[in-house]
This record gives sequence, C-alpha cells and structure tokens, in this order.
Amino acid sequence: MRKLLSMSVASGLLLTGAAIYVYQVSQPGTVRMRFDAVVGNKPLVFNDARYSNPGGAGMFRIRDFQFFISNIDLHGEKGVYRVPDSYYLARFDNSSTSYQINLANVPRDWYSAVTFSIGVDEVANGSIMSVGDLDPNSRMAWNWEVGYKFLLFEGALIDSDTIRPLVYHVGFNENRKTLRFNLPEEVAPDSSDALLFTVDVLALFTGKNTVDMAALPNVKFDRDDARLLAGNYGTMISLTARP
Amino acid sequence: MESGGFGSINKSIAMLSLCGVMLIAIIYGFVAYIEPKPTPLQGFTAPFVFGKFRVPVDNPLTQEAVQLGRRLFYDKQLSGDNTVSCSTCHLQHLAFTDGKARSVGVSGKTLDFNSMSLANLMWGPRHFFWNGRVDSLEEQALAPIQDPNEMAQNLDDLIDELEADDVYPGLFRSAYGKISAENIARALATFERTLISADSKYDQYLRGELKLSAEEELGRKLFMAHPDVKVSLRGGNCIDCHSQFLTSGFNAQFDGFSNNGLDTEALLNPGLQFTTGQVTDRGKFKVPTLRNIALTAPYMHDGRFTTLEQVLDHYNEGIRVSDSLSPLIMEADNQPQDAVNIRISLNLNEEEKRAVIAFLHTLTDHSFITEDKFSNPFDADTMPDA
Ligand code: HEC
Ligand code: HEC
Repeated sequence: MRKLLSMSVASGLLLTGAAIYVYQVSQPGTVRMRFDAVVGNKPLVFNDARYSNPGGAGMFRIRDFQFFISNIDLHGEKGVYRVPDSYYLARFDNSSTSYQINLANVPRDWYSAVTFSIGVDEVANGSIMSVGDLDPNSRMAWNWEVGYKFLLFEGALIDSDTIRPLVYHVGFNENRKTLRFNLPEEVAPDSSDALLFTVDVLALFTGKNTVDMAALPNVKFDRDDARLLAGNYGTMISLTARP
Repeated sequence: MESGGFGSINKSIAMLSLCGVMLIAIIYGFVAYIEPKPTPLQGFTAPFVFGKFRVPVDNPLTQEAVQLGRRLFYDKQLSGDNTVSCSTCHLQHLAFTDGKARSVGVSGKTLDFNSMSLANLMWGPRHFFWNGRVDSLEEQALAPIQDPNEMAQNLDDLIDELEADDVYPGLFRSAYGKISAENIARALATFERTLISADSKYDQYLRGELKLSAEEELGRKLFMAHPDVKVSLRGGNCIDCHSQFLTSGFNAQFDGFSNNGLDTEALLNPGLQFTTGQVTDRGKFKVPTLRNIALTAPYMHDGRFTTLEQVLDHYNEGIRVSDSLSPLIMEADNQPQDAVNIRISLNLNEEEKRAVIAFLHTLTDHSFITEDKFSNPFDADTMPDA
C-alpha cells in the first residue's frame, strides 16, 4: 500500500518535472548581443586627443560616436527570426565603452548566424514615427527630407596649436550596410553568454580607404564622401574572438 | 465532556473569525471610503510628432491633481512671506517666463539665472534647470519653494498653512489623500505636464492647415539644415541642437545640453559640470525649447540678449571659443573655410538672418498664452489673493 503510494507520488513528481522542463524549453527566451568599442589597438577614451590621424599629421579626439543598428535577423534551424521594430542606437559613452542589446521573446531554436544593418531601412528612414530608438526629435534626425544620420562621429583634430572640428554625419539610403556573422557555435535563447562583437572606431578612417582628417575634416551631404565613409564603416564590426 | 469542550471552542473560533471578517470588511470599507479615487484626465492629447511621453506611475494625470496643482502654482501662500508664487516668475502671457534678464524672488536679490519657459515639459531633456541638476518635475517643484532667494518657505510651515486653509484639505483629499511635501510636488508637476503648446503657426503648418510665407519657409529650411558648402546647402544649423518639431534639446541622456559659444574659457559658467562633475561638461547648458520664443525675451541662461536679432548675431558672428564649444558650431559655415585661419561664423546674409527670425515667430502659440485652463484660478473665483 505504502509502496504503491510513494511510487505513484514519485512518478507524479517526475511527470510534472518533465512537463515543466518541456514547457520551459519550448518557451521563448532572451538573446543578448554586446558591442565593445576600441580604436584600432587602443581602448576608446572620449575627449582625449590620444589617437593619430590615420592619413596625415595631428592627433584626434572623439567627443561623440553613435550609430544605428537595425533589422536584426537570427538564422536558426527552424528558420529566420526577424526581431520586430529592431532599431537600436548604439552608443559607448559609458564606463565599459560597450553597448548591449537584449532581444527578449526570441523563439526557442539553435541559431547559427545573425544579420543586421548599420543604418536604417528605406521605409523607416522616410517616416517620422517613433519606433525603437528612432526619434525624429533626436540628434540622429538630420532633417525631414533626408531621414536619419546612420552614423555620427564628432570631435577635433589637433595639430600643433590649431584645433579643427571634425564632423562626420553619414546617412542616405544607399549607405545602409547589412552585415552577416556566422557564429562559431550555435546559440539558443537564455544561454549564459552574450554574442560578442568588437566595434573598431578607427576602421571608419582606415577600413577600405585611409582618410586624412585634415584633408577631409567633415562629411555631411556630399554623396561621394558619404559613400567613402560608409564603405569603411561596413568593416568596423567583427565577432570578438573568444580566448 | 471532551467533545463538548471541543464543540464550544469550535463555536468561539467560528464567532471570532466572523467578527474578524466583519472587522476587516468595516476597515476595508472605511479605507476605500477615505482612499481618494481621482478621475483620470479626459481628452489629454499631444501631437504625435512630439514623440512618446511618460507620466510617472505613482503620479498619474488626474483632474483633481491638475486642479490642485494649478491652484498651488498661482498661490502666494507657497512663499515664506506670502508675496511670491510660482507664477511671479512664470507668467502665462510670457509663455511662463518673467521678462527679466534674471529673476527676483522674496529676498529681492537678483538670481543667477533667467526664468525658463514651462511648455511641453514632458519632452526634450529629462533634466531640469539650466544646468540639469534635477531629474523630475516632482523633484524640481520643491526647490524654488525652499530656496531662500526665491520663495523662502519651510515645508513643514507650508503644510501647516495649507491644513489650516478652507480649500486645500478637501482638494488634497480628493487628489492624493493627505497634505504632504510629496503631494504638493506631485500636484505642481501634474499641472506643469498639462502645459502643452501645440497650436502655433508652425504646428498648423505641420498639420497641413496652412502654408508658411516665403520668408518663414526660407527660415524654416535654414533652421532645419546644417550647412554644407560642398553641395551648396545653406543652413543655420539650429537643428543640430534644437530638435525639429519640439525645438528643444534632445532627450537621450545629456544630449540636450550644449555649449553654444556664449563665453570664452576664462568666463565659462560651470553649467552641466555642476551636475555631472565632468570637466568636459563645463559651459554646457540645457538647450531650451524655442516655442513661444518671441515672447520669452531676454534670452540665454543669464538673459544677456534682449532681442532675437542679437541672438542671430551671436550665432552668426559672435561665437566665443572654449574647449567644450560644440564642434558643430565651430564647423558650420556657409562659406568655404580657410583651413589655417578658422574664423567661426555661419556667414548667413542679412536676408537669411531675418528669415530665421521670421520662422522663430511662427513658434508663437496664442492659444497657449490665453488658455483658461492654464490661467490664474484666483482671478476667477472669490478667493482672496493672499
Ligand atoms: C523667483 C523666481 C522663480 C520662482 C518663484 C519660481 N521659479 Fe521656476 N525658475 C526660475 C528660474 C530663474 C529658473 C531657472 C533656474 C536655474 O536653472 O537654476 C526656473 C526654472 C524652473 C523649471 C525648470 C524648467 C526646465 O525646462 O528645466 C521649472 C519646471 C520651474 N522653474 C517651475 C517652478 C515652479 C513649479 C515654481 C513654484 C513652486 C517655480 N518655478 C517658482 C524662477 C522662478
Ligand atoms: C550647438 C548647439 C546649438 C545650436 C547649433 C544652436 N543652439 Fe540655440 N541654444 C543652445 C543652447 C545650449 C542654448 C542655451 C544657452 C545658454 O543659455 O547658456 C540656446 C539658446 C537659444 C536661444 C535662447 C533661448 C532662451 O529661452 O533664452 C535661442 C533664441 C536660440 N538658441 C536660437 C537658436 C537658433 C535660431 C539657432 C540656429 C541659428 C540655434 N539656436 C543654434 C544650443 C544651440
């Protein structure tokens, strides 16, 4: 009698446990992406003229650096998960000079690749609705007619005693860069590690074309200049190699 | 015996629990009776181009809170000697500024700062005062009341005064419950959140109801563009700091604070550095809303400019260089820059400067400065103006 009772209790518990487990693994979870900023082989420090002009004389300092990450897709065994309303303004003016995105409610799956854009897609870029971090009253708004700045870099170039302002505002639909990263190991939601990316600010001036900041101290609405910098920022993000 | 004993214990337990339940019911009924049930504010709207707004969960917009806040805002009892109310320095017909270069309160001493317009406070920087030293309107509201130069009022004394008043106990009861410093702050903040200016000529233009004049339209275009000589785009670069629809500073972090070149390094006021402790923030100030700007002279944190012409002259040719000066101001130029001798100037011509000023005038909202709901309630009822 006793035996039967404890056996049925035990199997009951087991069954509930199994049910809870099955329930949990079928629940959506969180995927985290972390972007750590560097400047070439140096750490990112704001407001300090510690970096050499990659294409010429002088040292430069960074006052502001931010850019849009959008349209994040996670590629899994069951299919592609498109993160809804994924417009994130990545900025690094914090103690760890990093930016983290927490994607909540990601369907259970094993994901082997992630794609996203630097910039904003044409539809959102032509709209004044506030979605995600898109805000027509923010500093990334350029003006009503041309949409958003995709990337903003402001600072100064200091050469002997002249200080030149540096203003790089890059936008225009054609300069959205979509990047694909094949992950070294597949990930599932709620795994303990974030996906780690490195953002190299210097690549903006050294990526495909080396820029002399003295010769090109600002990039705004000139399409060729904007294309040149966009070609460079297309190379600035990489997966962080794990030790 | 045994069972009988159990029986009577059971009975008394039953009785006791019945009493308990009744007591709880009575207390609940009482609490429910005294707990205020304020009415959510009806028909509260704002233009979608202003973007999202947040109202603190512990201080929802209710009719009772707005009514109470409005009365407090206009009540001189809030100052130590009953001579100054919030509205002394924030007058509706001046879009809630006071027309002085720097404000004067109960002490008669001129304050360090120019009064700020109170419009659309739910948008733009979520940091208040010129140097951003407080993070909420609730926190802000208690500052002038206690400041010895502004209203010089002890909060405990104020609560006693309000409790002795004929009207306030009832108003507080229906809005929040009891009279406390916290609830005074909440009510003032709630009233301020309703001060929305969204019916200027510019708003009507945004809604497609009218066309701007050719001059205003030129001014709007200049306001909204950072100049780029390479593509022959002329601009006044105002949008670099004053957002396109709100015309105030940006709301993310401290992005809405900037150094717009008023002073040289040696004369720089600490500004935002007071709040963040960062040297790089020295001389940065809150980028104010430009809505109703034609009504809110004198201009800047110390009221140094008396006209919009002077403001435009400042941006066009009066910039003083310092380390935290915005690179966007240094760089913005409508003429090709000399790479060696940088002379900071927008190089707008007279016609363009006038056009920007004409655009600034389209930000005046007459319904805002005449709206009954924002006006002095003491004028309307028979309450003596203490
Ligand atoms: C003596 C004049 C004076 C009185 C009285 C006064 N203010 Fe002000 N107010 C100012 C000045 C000056 C500033 C800017 C001060 C600063 O930055 O330090 C200001 C700033 C503000 C701001 C910040 C606005 C912004 O955009 O950051 C708010 C809100 C405000 N006042 C509300 C009130 C309320 C509510 C009261 C009454 C409880 C009040 N004021 C009483 C002069 C006054
Ligand atoms: C680099 C940022 C920046 C730019 C660009 C800029 N402003 Fe400002 N503006 C500010 C800041 C900051 C203040 C407040 C400064 C202070 O009082 O210390 C201000 C103040 C003002 C004021 C006075 C507001 C008041 O309530 O006293 C007016 C008017 C104004 N700006 C108009 C303009 C116009 C017009 C343009 C374009 C020609 C422009 N601004 C460009 C940052 C900027």
